Amino acid sequence: MRNWQKILLAIDGSETSERAVRYVSKIAPLIENVEICILNVYPEPPPDYYSQGGRLDTYKIMREERAEKMLTDAAAILTNAGIAEDCLSRRISMAEGRTISQVVLEVQAEGDYGTVVTGKRGVSKAEEFLFGSISNALARHSKRFTSWIVG
Amino acid sequence: MLWPGTAKDLHPGLSGNVMVDWSIFPEHILPELKNHVAVRSMRRQPKLCADTSDFVNIDYGDIIHVDGRYLLVVGYTREGRFGVEEQPKQWVPRVYDLETGERNIVKLVFHETYTIKLGGLKVTCYRSPEKEAQVIELARGNASFMQGYAALDEVGNLVRILEVVNGKRLDKVIYTLGENHLEYYEKCLPDVLRRFLVAVRAIAMLHSHGLKHGDIRRDHIFVDREDGHFCWIDFDYDFYLPERPYAMDLFGLGNVLLFLLGKQAFRPNAVLKDPEFGEKVFARLNENDLALIGQDRIFNLQKIYPYIPDALNDILLHFSYGTEVMYDTVDEFHDDLHRAVEQIW
Repeated sequence: MRNWQKILLAIDGSETSERAVRYVSKIAPLIENVEICILNVYPEPPPDYYSQGGRLDTYKIMREERAEKMLTDAAAILTNAGIAEDCLSRRISMAEGRTISQVVLEVQAEGDYGTVVTGKRGVSKAEEFLFGSISNALARHSKRFTSWIVG
Repeated sequence: MLWPGTAKDLHPGLSGNVMVDWSIFPEHILPELKNHVAVRSMRRQPKLCADTSDFVNIDYGDIIHVDGRYLLVVGYTREGRFGVEEQPKQWVPRVYDLETGERNIVKLVFHETYTIKLGGLKVTCYRSPEKEAQVIELARGNASFMQGYAALDEVGNLVRILEVVNGKRLDKVIYTLGENHLEYYEKCLPDVLRRFLVAVRAIAMLHSHGLKHGDIRRDHIFVDREDGHFCWIDFDYDFYLPERPYAMDLFGLGNVLLFLLGKQAFRPNAVLKDPEFGEKVFARLNENDLALIGQDRIFNLQKIYPYIPDALNDILLHFSYGTEVMYDTVDEFHDDLHRAVEQIW
């Protein structure tokens, strides 16, 4: 697997995503030339957001502030584990007209990340049908990269 | 705005001595207006409504003025839901164009948000006039969708003016087909499914443009009276499912297919009570045969009608509790159904 030491770490602020960060913090210091991009993808606003007077820029500011905090916390866990700050990059993106997993896959392809890491919450089949599962989508679509799904 | 009207003269057609100010209406619509049964039977001043915000106060016999048209309210559409009897939808009046004589259905702006429970899962549902207007625009000229257009009223409400679909609700049509299920299955189902496939392709087309139907149900398909094609209606529901935006449409299509294949939807208790099936069929059922969402209906239809071929039953099983594989897209659902129909008939 080419570029396996280039890790894309997709987080959403949940407990399982924190477990994924901690997992990477244990493994990554052992990897030579490791590069980690911490990514948060957030969804578009709900359908009634605009009809209630909401504005896209306000929504983006709110989501990005929240994402910055998530990324900062994750970066702190990684640097405390011994990963150099210059091995880390951060990215925040809104899933515009796409699903969150589609954006993660796009970022993976664009940055040629050999490893994609995400947390996995336990969902029932009915929940997966209605709400989806980003980890399942990544596992299903992982071609030319490795998925680490941390439960 | 709602025109208060000033009493000017007595209208001989109105029952009782009601003073009606006809001067609020343009001269050229007066002959039609005064003689229309909706107005003749009134005991009050008809209102001219150019602002449709307060739709609960737009009544039978009032006139909606939008897009330069004078649309007399002559009734309301009705809909039943979640086991509730059919209720009139006051934001969806039936209208008569006082200039052209055309009959339309008008959908007035009604923003509502509520949560529906599917089994133990909650999904937030939004009524979105904007989204319906987008679908209508995209589907213009496409016979698989109700036709119409959107226009802003005096204060910017997005009013949708729809053509009346010349047809009958799909579920009501299906109930009339065949003396029994076997006859329906052998004589009618192939044609029903071919028509349904066209309707499914139409939903896939919406999805390819980032739009969803939002409320796919068997009573939201009308069967055209002339050539029998299926026509989707009612596009104003929307859902917020960022990772599975089309899941509710897929869920709806699975339910419609279940109804089409079974000629009804079966619940375990109803099967038990039905003398045609009773204990012998009920005893064969298990949890995996039931709906993935809600576990209320039987999706393994072969256990009720053993002659349903695997190719069709397997599609239903994708929506069952026992499934390991789910449809991600309507295209996948369509392709499986198309293959099954071609293989069986």
